[in-house]
Amino acid sequence: MLNYTLRRLFTVVPTLLVLIVFSFYLMRLAPGGPFTSEKPLPPSVMANVLERYGMDEPLHVQLWTYIKNIVFHFDFGPSFSQKDRTVNDVIAQGFPVTLTYGFWSAVFVLACGIPLGIIAALRHNSFWDYSMTGLAIFSQIFPNFVLAPIMVLLFTLSWGLLPGGGWNGGQWEYIIMPAVALGTSYMAGVARLTRGSFLEVMNSPFIRTARAKGLPERTIIIRHALKPALLPTLTYMGPVFVYMITGSVFIDVFFSTGGIGQDFIDGAYSRDYSMLLGLAILYSVLTFTLNLLLDLAYAWIDPKVRSKL
Amino acid sequence: MSTAKKQMNAPAYAEAAAEEMITSRSFWADARQRFLKNRMAVVSVLMLVLLVLFAIFGHSLAQWSYEEIDWNVLGKVKTEGGPTLANGHYFGVDELGRDLYARVVQGSQTSLLVGFLAGTASVILGSVLGATAGYFGGRTDQIIMGAYTIWLSIPYIIFFVVWQAFFGRSLTQMILVIILVNWTAGLLIVRGQVMMLKNREFVDAARMLGMSDFAIIFKHLMPNILWVIVIYTSIVIPEVIMMESLVSFLGVGIQEPNTSWGALISEGARTMTFGTLWQLAFPAAFFVIAQVSLYYIGDGLRDALDPKDR
Amino acid sequence: MSLLSVNNLNIRFRTGDGYVHAVNDVSFDIAKGQKLAVVGESGSGKSQIAMSIMGLLANNAEAEGEVLYEGQNLLTLPSAKLNRIRAKDIGIIFQDPMSSLNPYMRIERQLGEVVEQHEGLSRSDARKRVLEVMEAVQIPDAKNRLTAYPHEFSGGMRQRIVIAMALICKPKLILADEPTTALDVTVQAQIMSLLDEIQRELGTAVMLITHDLGVVAGFCEDTLVLYGGRVMEAAPTLDLFDAPGHPYTRGLLRAVPNISDASASLAAIPGSPPNQTRAPVACPFAPRCVDAIPGCHQTLPELTGDRQQRACIRPVEELT
Ligand SMILES: Nc1ncnc2c1ncn2[C@@H]1O[C@H](COP(=O)(O)OP(=O)(O)OP(=O)(O)O)[C@@H](O)[C@H]1O
Ligand code: SF4
Ligand SMILES: [Mg+2]
Repeated sequence: MLNYTLRRLFTVVPTLLVLIVFSFYLMRLAPGGPFTSEKPLPPSVMANVLERYGMDEPLHVQLWTYIKNIVFHFDFGPSFSQKDRTVNDVIAQGFPVTLTYGFWSAVFVLACGIPLGIIAALRHNSFWDYSMTGLAIFSQIFPNFVLAPIMVLLFTLSWGLLPGGGWNGGQWEYIIMPAVALGTSYMAGVARLTRGSFLEVMNSPFIRTARAKGLPERTIIIRHALKPALLPTLTYMGPVFVYMITGSVFIDVFFSTGGIGQDFIDGAYSRDYSMLLGLAILYSVLTFTLNLLLDLAYAWIDPKVRSKL
Repeated sequence: MSTAKKQMNAPAYAEAAAEEMITSRSFWADARQRFLKNRMAVVSVLMLVLLVLFAIFGHSLAQWSYEEIDWNVLGKVKTEGGPTLANGHYFGVDELGRDLYARVVQGSQTSLLVGFLAGTASVILGSVLGATAGYFGGRTDQIIMGAYTIWLSIPYIIFFVVWQAFFGRSLTQMILVIILVNWTAGLLIVRGQVMMLKNREFVDAARMLGMSDFAIIFKHLMPNILWVIVIYTSIVIPEVIMMESLVSFLGVGIQEPNTSWGALISEGARTMTFGTLWQLAFPAAFFVIAQVSLYYIGDGLRDALDPKDR
Repeated sequence: MSLLSVNNLNIRFRTGDGYVHAVNDVSFDIAKGQKLAVVGESGSGKSQIAMSIMGLLANNAEAEGEVLYEGQNLLTLPSAKLNRIRAKDIGIIFQDPMSSLNPYMRIERQLGEVVEQHEGLSRSDARKRVLEVMEAVQIPDAKNRLTAYPHEFSGGMRQRIVIAMALICKPKLILADEPTTALDVTVQAQIMSLLDEIQRELGTAVMLITHDLGVVAGFCEDTLVLYGGRVMEAAPTLDLFDAPGHPYTRGLLRAVPNISDASASLAAIPGSPPNQTRAPVACPFAPRCVDAIPGCHQTLPELTGDRQQRACIRPVEELT
């Protein structure tokens, strides 16, 4: 398994490299830059600024320096727009925030989605089952950027139950709405998927065998059906994590959590190369890591996959 | 003699065989009938038609243009900017005193145009790539599938934001970047279908006749998987509308004074603390109606076209 | 008193196009230690009879009649009581050994949970029993293979595990649903002789469902011939092979070149299986029967006779 993890890392490195090189050239070759403004700077000042950021060197040299700094010093360079901060500062401050509510959001997705799906499957065609279909349609129609304002409207403006934004050191009241708004769609997706796979597993021959053993239904479900029923859910979580990262950019902006999403968008506005590139790398590394964890979890559950690793 | 005759007939045979599979009139006729029986789907089509008509002709009912500021209400938007017939602001005004009705019309144009153009184009691109991968297999397939897997594991927002930041935010730019981001749309499913079909007799026949791969793919295979493409397009369009709305919400979408549902929802959400709820309600309602309709249309198409469900 | 007594069993399935009548008015008894073969072509309802005994019919099934096990009707028994009979008193070997094991669970657990459930054994005691039974079904190196997963075994070994699972509680009756069809010929022979050996040792009654008349001849003292979900003939195996009393049985035996040739096929009779969407009102075999007379298409023959029972309106002497 360690072997497998290492092999995976070896495919990640070239991918990241392609991403860096591509984004680097894309940004640099596009017209305009972080120091282009309405009133052009006098040429001497401009030259000065460019020199300070090392931007007077040829592009490939800059790229090389950039990569070297990341690999050897874990240094993503200075921010071009936020004067006294480095990209490392921004990440150190914002990333824990995004990660925190992202984690709770994932917990919400799984901890609500899986039981909901199983209940709907067990009470096939009942009220629960239908309400879940309703929830699935609902979540399709109310994506996070429509749901979030509605939630704020209800929970903050109408009932005054929860703060409508901010972070405040990550107290739980500040985490709830971002986590729920980010996760609801995927929670519904997980529920629907779990329902389907659970129904399928319960009809499979090895469940029939378990029944023939005279085991009580509850044992059959917990011991025999749960693991295989969760495998499709686990596969589904791969794309879900990717979508949730996209969603987190919105959540950071909408709830002013202070997470890195806001810096990413600001970086785009101000054409802050190093910020954009640094955060793009961070987001990619995050997705790769999550996907790797998922694959390992998959292998842990499925012995057939495990023996192939 | 008889073989010669057979060979002469072969092109006709290949044509007929390919034709027979799907274009067999009855397939689409049956599908249409099944679709028309689905009441939700039919109502949804009507809703969508109304939305499109609204986007196209809505301006003729507007009393204001979408960029013009109504100085009479500016500064007292909360008290006097609400929806009313009296001053011609049917949907009220936005934060800057601009007519929300006209802006919703304009936003609907943008969102629907982006949705349909970019949605369809992405599926076409994805299908062509999927068909190529499925038909040629081997190295081609490996490369395309490798790129597919990697692409899907990168949050699209990264590419989107970087691209938009550096290439401006016009409508064309938006459509282009959405197509690029969605190049994988329908790829997998078309690839699977083509892999299944490419070993059928009519394809063999066509190949034996020396038809080019290009002709086989486009003349023989594509018509047979058109139904997959149609279903997939109906899924991708609402997704694209959602994508456009999200990035517009984030402020990296369409450029002011042009607008879209997402941009309008974003403004409405920003100002709802001031009690100007209509600014959120109208665009959100249009967005939701479009999504609901598209959802049921997609559902209806799936039921009508997918042979698996029959 | 017989161990298992099936009386007037009817099984039908609700489907999109109405009912499928899979089993019609089937009755038979199995005594302690008796070996009964159930033969018939594919779709004749063999498996569904076994499923109804175990209470494992599909959700869309409706069963009527009685399946009496030691006086209790298994068709109506509440599931808690049924669970005490399953595996403990009646074990089943499913038709498809490959998919009837849980791919996500170690073999030891899959076998062990049966004795833990029914005999309240601890884990370590259960492990001993598992090892015993795995050795009994001749799985080589059983001790080291306890923690393996199903996919790590060959088809033949997996079938032995399935048999071990059915045997582990030493049940009084085993339902073996084509235990060897999925295996290649040499392995088939091994498995059958293993089953025979164990059966002799434990004195278990066996209901053996099979396609294979060769197996029937070597293994079972009694035979039940099914067609279209109805019993065509029920008799001691030797009598049946000697003097088949029903045109269908005759057709079957004629299709077998040599009884000891294990790979005979039941489908050798011309014609196609009956339409089961209506409950039979005439002899179901009539469309394919060489002896059919007009009356066969109007009356439903009863199962009559004493030692050798048959369901045919024509006397044995008249048959070709
Ligand atoms: N869940 C179900 N719904 C509808 N019909 C069913 C269902 N299960 C079984 N049947 C039908 O019942 C009939 C008897 O099936 P059964 O499995 O008992 O056949 P069998 O004699 O065991 O055949 P084989 O030798 O192929 O295993 C078949 O026609 C089958 O199609
Ligand atoms: S009843 Fe008639 S059709 Fe049926 S088996 Fe006897 S002879 Fe043949
Ligand atoms: Mg069977």
